[in-house]
Amino acid sequence: MGLADAFTLVCAVAGAILFLAGTLGLLRFPDTLSRLHALSKADSLGLGLIVLGLLPQQASLMGGVKLICIWLLAQLSAATASQLIAGIAARRKPQA
Amino acid sequence: MSSLVTSPRLMGTLLGRGIGFFLLWLVLIGTAPKDMPVGLVAGVAAAWASIPLWPIDGRLSLTGLLRFILRFLPQAVVAGVDVARRAFARDIVMKPGLVTYRASLRPGLAQSALCAVMSLQPGKLPVSCATSGDMLVHCLDSDAAVTAELAADEAAFLRILPGVRAGG
Repeated sequence: MGLADAFTLVCAVAGAILFLAGTLGLLRFPDTLSRLHALSKADSLGLGLIVLGLLPQQASLMGGVKLICIWLLAQLSAATASQLIAGIAARRKPQA
Repeated sequence: MSSLVTSPRLMGTLLGRGIGFFLLWLVLIGTAPKDMPVGLVAGVAAAWASIPLWPIDGRLSLTGLLRFILRFLPQAVVAGVDVARRAFARDIVMKPGLVTYRASLRPGLAQSALCAVMSLQPGKLPVSCATSGDMLVHCLDSDAAVTAELAADEAAFLRILPGVRAGG
């Protein structure tokens, strides 16, 4: 196993652990808004690590740029969606 | 509207945006010639949709953006690790609560973008924004001094937008 493969393995495993943490937070955190923290932050970092790990496996520069674009779009959608859900949750239960 | 459409500045800006969106489309979908017409339509449509979302005279500071990214990336890592640490802990220790923050930015696209960025920062999740600029921010530790962190986040964000004045 080469250095690039080892890097991919470490990053992908770390990313998967963060996805697991996000899911655990979704199940264990006490209220809706706290659960949104788990999804928006842990999953974003998890996806970032997996993308980082996959970069050395790309055959072309275009493939790497595509992965980074996908990560940026996922960041944007995660941040926007969590904010919108937070707004709805807070309106339904102001003291949450 | 006709004067806007014929304005060279508007056309130049739209052309630049359209090319940018078309390049993004090429990166995501590929460069097969048979797909190009769809990409061109997508680029034009995205540029047209961007007019109400981002002013024609809106500017971005590249140095401000670079400084912001250098600040944002480590904080995003801290945020993810912080949540993971709490999620894996045997006993979840947190004191969630809402904190009010008086933002300099008024409601609009810039403030929405600021809220989106803040939602990826450690321990904070913007919930709502009032016309006065007051933002309701959900914190995992409501006892922590988050106001200073929020002000620093906002100041870093404002450096990206040289044309946007705090309080305007």
